[in-house]
Amino acid sequence: MRKRQRWISVLLAAITAFSAMLPLAAQAQAEKKQSVNFAMTSNPDTLDPHKTSGTPTFQTIRSFYDTLVEPDREGAIVPALAESWEISDDNLEWTFHLRRGVKFHDGTAFDARDVKATLQRIRAEETASPKTSEFQAIESISIPDDYTLVLRLSEPYAPLLSSLASGWGAILPSEKIEEGHNFGIEPVGTGPFTMKEWLRDNKITMEKSNDYWKEGLPRLDEVVLNIITEGSVQLQGLLSGQIDILAEYSPTEEELEILEDNSSINLERSLTALVMVLAMNNANPYVEELKFRQAAAHAIDKQTVLDIAYGGGKPVGTFMDRKDPYYVDYTDLYPYNPQKAAELVDSLDIPEDKTFVMALPQNFDPHVRAGQMYQEMLEKAGLSIEIRLVDWSTWLSDVYRGGNYDFTVIGHTGKLDPDGRLGGYGTEKTYVNWINKKAAEAIETGKKTVGFENRKPLYDTALEEMARELPHVYVGTNYRYILTRKSVTGFHMDTKLDTFDFRYTEVSE
Amino acid sequence: MLFSGKFALKFNVKRTRNIILYSALIFIGLLVFSALAAPLIAPCDPTEQHLQDRFMKPGEGGYLMGTDDLGRDVFSRIIYGSRSALLVGFTTAGAAMLLGLITGLAAGLGNRWVESALMLFTDSLLAFPTILLALTVVTFMGYGLVQVMLALGIIFSPVFTRIVRAETMALQYEGYVEAAKVLGTPTYKIITKHFLPNMMGKLIVQGAITFAASIVIESSLSYLGLGIQPPNASWGLMLKDARNFILTSPYLAIYPGVVIALTVLSFNLIGDILSEKINPRIED
Repeated sequence: MRKRQRWISVLLAAITAFSAMLPLAAQAQAEKKQSVNFAMTSNPDTLDPHKTSGTPTFQTIRSFYDTLVEPDREGAIVPALAESWEISDDNLEWTFHLRRGVKFHDGTAFDARDVKATLQRIRAEETASPKTSEFQAIESISIPDDYTLVLRLSEPYAPLLSSLASGWGAILPSEKIEEGHNFGIEPVGTGPFTMKEWLRDNKITMEKSNDYWKEGLPRLDEVVLNIITEGSVQLQGLLSGQIDILAEYSPTEEELEILEDNSSINLERSLTALVMVLAMNNANPYVEELKFRQAAAHAIDKQTVLDIAYGGGKPVGTFMDRKDPYYVDYTDLYPYNPQKAAELVDSLDIPEDKTFVMALPQNFDPHVRAGQMYQEMLEKAGLSIEIRLVDWSTWLSDVYRGGNYDFTVIGHTGKLDPDGRLGGYGTEKTYVNWINKKAAEAIETGKKTVGFENRKPLYDTALEEMARELPHVYVGTNYRYILTRKSVTGFHMDTKLDTFDFRYTEVSE
Repeated sequence: MLFSGKFALKFNVKRTRNIILYSALIFIGLLVFSALAAPLIAPCDPTEQHLQDRFMKPGEGGYLMGTDDLGRDVFSRIIYGSRSALLVGFTTAGAAMLLGLITGLAAGLGNRWVESALMLFTDSLLAFPTILLALTVVTFMGYGLVQVMLALGIIFSPVFTRIVRAETMALQYEGYVEAAKVLGTPTYKIITKHFLPNMMGKLIVQGAITFAASIVIESSLSYLGLGIQPPNASWGLMLKDARNFILTSPYLAIYPGVVIALTVLSFNLIGDILSEKINPRIED
């Protein structure tokens, strides 16, 4: 008995000593660093900007690299590593004047040779970049002096500036490229942060770069990207204070009520650049009939689906997101009208036992929920729908590339240039197999036409064709919710590129 | 030790066991009844969406267990979910038993080579974790209820094979079997008259345990989206959907969770108690 008592007193003493030290430790940490914890849904497959088309990669490397030009908060393209640029009258020669005094994280200076080496790398066959085609129009790259770059094109190519502003336009140091450096695991750029540590499927820690070319930026000392796949866990993290910023979670109406009442959380709502669609395979003889697609469009209550499945948003009537300058409103063309949908289905010659397969990407809960709503709406119009859940890689290979589906549900991400979204439509190259010569020609010409005023009428034609002919049922653009702890300000997520910008983020006490 | 005098006298192992057995049987009976009479008991169509009545709390708006994110009646979905659970349980246990019988008898009665080959196969099947094997089979054959049942039937067969083989080996040398053989009774008759009746008890016990295990696996596969396809009702699928709303509507996860737990517990209890009754040696 005596022995036990002694042990207990030792234990108690130890606990007291530890608890006395805890506040000290916490204080030391608070003084040390300005740091934020960010919740990220998926792990990047690589950090090499030229070897993937995965969004998580570009979201992450936005902090490590810069591009020649970049989109500002309104989506206009503004100078970054290039201070200015001009385009020749025949639209074939693009001259960029580069910023002086910029340094890479390894200490080497940035100049035109780095840009040339980078563009050569992304165009090289052995790099096998999925974005090579965006740089194919470049015929030759010349560098008259250290801070001038001239791109000579084989034909006019309007989307070039947007490609240079996208994540895959990240500029790498030429010395490291020549060395064959593995950019996939160790990024070396000119960006506001450097990588400290990458624990796969767990977290990425980024540290402030002291040489960043924008005066006084970044404001944070450290950013930790915590990889948390489960949405409800992300939200719990925010509520418990382990997470400071949540940008990829769309709360339900009930959760919004809780969050709005929470005085320590800031909620910012904006429209994304996504277009949510119910895609139809036009290669199917029933779907090929325009009346069938019109019936589907009339059958769907867009606003309700957006509210319930996608956390709210605004409907669209054609293949462009609400905030894009090329957007045209066609939402009144095929309004929600279940009766008309049923009449249209009746007028078609569809056998009683014909069942249409709706393939849903099972790892995206919002699409699965939307799919179940579409199913019920389409069945009310008289179509028989069978849901088939497929995993993401099967969806990509079987549905998106293989065209093995009748209906599917997906969101098309935003692109800086309209050609990024529309390229290929009207031809058999897209997964909806919608053939329309008029649209295809307008889109093809638009790619080669420079200047917004010149391109607008072409894309108007294409978007009108798509609105009337319905290769997909266009549902709408959803809201993005950025949830932050009250102490954190200045976080920005690029509307079109979906990338995270921590440069202006700061933490106040 | 813990029970004081009077209670200890009244505390009767056999009686307690019977109470447990009967409550388990009653629960299973209820489940079977609700599965058979689902359209009669369920107040709503399990897939019908009431978009104005989303996230109703239990009891609100006449929904006994509330409604889910698309306004579907949770109570009706639980009832219809028992159909898929029991269907998977029966088919899987049946298929596994049949497969086990065939391979077990072949291994027990066949020559050395047949036996080694069959046992090597079943042992390698046993070496895999069940859920991993189920995932593999379903990925190969595609998602859906039929695939899940087939996959589970194959996966659970090795245990039956082992039981049947062991029994066959032991029974072969019993006096009455040898006598039957000497008299020229055809093998199939020996199997049906002597082997099967002798093994039945053990097979039924193992069947009950397999039944429970397959319900768990079906729920897990549906939870992962590989089993029953939405919008059809399955307890696992309900749990999967509920996960997203755990903060605001925890009841969505509680009902299917509790039903799965009770079902599995009941079948396991029945299996345990039956095995004690059939095999009295364990009783001491």
